[in-house]
Amino acid sequence: MVELKDLWLTYPGATQPSVRGVSLRVEPGEFVTLLGPSGCGKTSTLRSVAGLESPSSGSISIGDNEVFNGSSGVEVRTHMRDISMVFQSYAVWPHMTVSGNVAFPLEVAQLPTAEVRQRVAEALQMVGLDSFADRSATQLSGGQQQRVAIARALVRRSAVMLLDEPLSNLDAKLREQMRLELRQLLKTVGLTAVYVTHDQEEALMLSDRIALMNAGKFVEIGTPVDLYLRPRTLFGATFLGAAEIFKVVRTSGTAVETDIGVLQVQVDDAGTDFEHVGIRPEAIRVTQHASPHQIPNQLPGTLVSAVFSGRQQQLIVQLRSGRSIHVLADATTNFAAGQTVYVELPAERLMGLQKEVSPD
Amino acid sequence: MRQGALRSAPWLSFGLLALLLYLVAVPLALLLVSSFKPTGLPLDAGWSLQNFDLVYGDAGFYTLLRNTLTFALGCTVCALAVGGVLAWLVERTDLPFRATARVMIALPMVLPPFLLAMGWVLLASPRTGWFNQLFKDALGLTQAPFNIYSMGGMIFVETLALVPSVYLILSNAFRNMDPALEEAAMTCGARWPQMVRRIFVPLLAPALVAAATYLLIVGFLVFDVPGTLGMPVGLFVVSSRIVYLATDQSGGTSAYGQIAAIAVTFLVLLLALAWSYRRMTRQTNRFVTVTGKGFRPRQLKLGGFKPFAVAAVMLYFVLAVLAPLGLLLWTSLTPYLAAISWEMAGKLTLAQHSSVLSNPRVGAAAWTSIWVSMLSATLVTALALLVAWTVLRARSLGQEARNLIDTLSFMPLAIPGTMIGMALIYVYLTLSFIPVYGTAWILVIAYVTVYLSFTSRTASASLIQLHPELDEAARTCGASPATTVRRIVLPLLLPALAGAWVWVVAHVMRELSTALLLQGDENVTLAVQLWSYWAGGEPSKAAAVGVWLVIVMTVITIVWQRLSARKDVVFGG
Repeated sequence: MVELKDLWLTYPGATQPSVRGVSLRVEPGEFVTLLGPSGCGKTSTLRSVAGLESPSSGSISIGDNEVFNGSSGVEVRTHMRDISMVFQSYAVWPHMTVSGNVAFPLEVAQLPTAEVRQRVAEALQMVGLDSFADRSATQLSGGQQQRVAIARALVRRSAVMLLDEPLSNLDAKLREQMRLELRQLLKTVGLTAVYVTHDQEEALMLSDRIALMNAGKFVEIGTPVDLYLRPRTLFGATFLGAAEIFKVVRTSGTAVETDIGVLQVQVDDAGTDFEHVGIRPEAIRVTQHASPHQIPNQLPGTLVSAVFSGRQQQLIVQLRSGRSIHVLADATTNFAAGQTVYVELPAERLMGLQKEVSPD
Repeated sequence: MRQGALRSAPWLSFGLLALLLYLVAVPLALLLVSSFKPTGLPLDAGWSLQNFDLVYGDAGFYTLLRNTLTFALGCTVCALAVGGVLAWLVERTDLPFRATARVMIALPMVLPPFLLAMGWVLLASPRTGWFNQLFKDALGLTQAPFNIYSMGGMIFVETLALVPSVYLILSNAFRNMDPALEEAAMTCGARWPQMVRRIFVPLLAPALVAAATYLLIVGFLVFDVPGTLGMPVGLFVVSSRIVYLATDQSGGTSAYGQIAAIAVTFLVLLLALAWSYRRMTRQTNRFVTVTGKGFRPRQLKLGGFKPFAVAAVMLYFVLAVLAPLGLLLWTSLTPYLAAISWEMAGKLTLAQHSSVLSNPRVGAAAWTSIWVSMLSATLVTALALLVAWTVLRARSLGQEARNLIDTLSFMPLAIPGTMIGMALIYVYLTLSFIPVYGTAWILVIAYVTVYLSFTSRTASASLIQLHPELDEAARTCGASPATTVRRIVLPLLLPALAGAWVWVVAHVMRELSTALLLQGDENVTLAVQLWSYWAGGEPSKAAAVGVWLVIVMTVITIVWQRLSARKDVVFGG
């Protein structure tokens, strides 16, 4: 539905490109999130799809139409592209009513009045604002304004909806609620969407696929489950959640020699030369006694501290090698600081991390 | 589908740049060239430093320089002191009748400075001034205590005229100071004097310095007050000297070269000031004390000083509005120039008013003022919107070109109306194939240039508030750039633009010096007509025209206040 090929973007006057050769294919009905730290080029990429930025080279297609091609000089202007967009600042026009805002794209397309009225009513009902149609847009709360912006994007029935951090201006509680609502809404309509955010939890919950971005490039692309449980780069492992990272000295088959000792790994690409291995704190098991069976990756250590936080206990364990690691343990675990414990790093949860991978 | 290179219209931006160069840079360049020509006309043969020799060799030039500096510095210091105290009283103390006080301090805006000066001539001229006669009779003096035709008189009247501007700048600064900043200092153990010295003054400093520089520029370029009070007794500052040299026929046209040399000298000074003003106002933006959070500034209790504070506000109002305007009204009603007295009260007549109102020359002048002011306002507002859009939003132009447009549109702030007038004379005497010299059209060109800096900054300020995503949202909804401007940008900017439009109309209506320099038979404005009554020894007729001008100005100002009050709409959620 949307396809980017080797897209580069350098802003006028800038010395470094903001987007460096990005390629992505979004299938019809798919929800793809561009996730990355601020300044990584995700918004620039999205705005290029909308035609709000002029890329330096590469190509962009929406549906069957090529809307940008750096080598043939094709550049379709924003208002001629089959898109709709939701902005971070909502961009709800303050001099119009709620229905005036939502009707605007249809009025510009010169649809018959009756159809405009019907489609506006439908869109407002979808976002639950049907009783607010005649309110002035400035009388709404932040969350309601965001719904107006979403209705305005839905009403156009475009090939793809672009969303630029649409939830980041809402307060935490509202953000969580809108997140679930948005996902349900877009899945009901079956919309193709490209979504930009820096919030990894948002990306994990909403997306069919996540394109993880850093320094103008896609680092990894995959489903939320893949990216969280089996990241293949150090950046992927640390950006999507907390991780304990161990430096790899040598790899031989399924055994890797690290700075805390030799660990057994169980990954698809075993045998590759990993730079690091990592593990999520919640995947680490801590026991009071060493297991009587010979199990791999069990290491003795000293419990430095145990902090209860309601949902779980946050433990810090110092291993014999001197390295301290964080562990998220069950809330009912009963340990005392200073005692000897055994940590187990399950082989199937160890993540083999390379320096760089091809994102697909 | 369109080719990439044509995505927006660069010809519009380049056309704008060319227009600004023509409006601002060409006149200044011709002024500069003229100053090096022996005849003082830019296209004549030969180059020489003769004009500068003549000007710098003349001891009178240094008197002129000293007078101009004394006047500019004098009214800057006085206006800052008076305006600062008034702003502080209204905004940061428990002064009673606060709302009334605000109106009383802002009201002098409706009184054109030359009318204020004329009112003060009637009040304090050595021979006929009403105050002088009152004091002579009451105290048995043989000599008049006040002489308004002096440097002191000029500074005094100009101060009265400048106080409202100072008040507006500083009261905003006072109001926007978050009391939490002061409270924080007090919770750190600071006492009042320490708090004032370490927190209050430094926070206020950017606003103070910017206000001072602005006043200094105005002090250098105003003509109204020095022209009314200094020119008749040969006490000149640069702007009145230029008008004198240009309109005084005894010197012939040869004075043009000297005028250009004087103008160039002062322009260098003014542009330097304007440049530093701009740097400073940019800095103040970084000191944003406005948080958008509602708060009430900490107020000092005046206690026993309350009556004095009220009296200070009242005194300013009497001196700046009531007394001069009252005397103008009285003069417009007397059959001949006479002081206020009971026996004259019986002889009051509307004869002057009816004579003036039925005079076709006055009618023609009023019509010229009206259409010139409305047309100039419309053109300059449209131009300002284009400038603001190009500087802030257009992508088709490089950063250097946008900076150039920004600078060109700002420069007129520092160019006195008299100098624009002179420069335009050079331009259109040279480009004689454009037949505007001596017509009202040359006034339109002059006013579009002069008021470009105010309007373009108003337009930029409101365009900055307009989040770019508001118009990008329209583009992603399928609206073309033209539709976006028509349906989204214009409606949102309209209150601010309408405010700027009315402001320009009001200022053109009361503008004197440029109109005086550029006057021909067909383009006499109301202000010029008033001035010629005054200079021609018909003060009663001048006063009658003045009273009507004030009425028109009051109406326009009320409209402006209404429009600017609507600017507080929150844009962009």
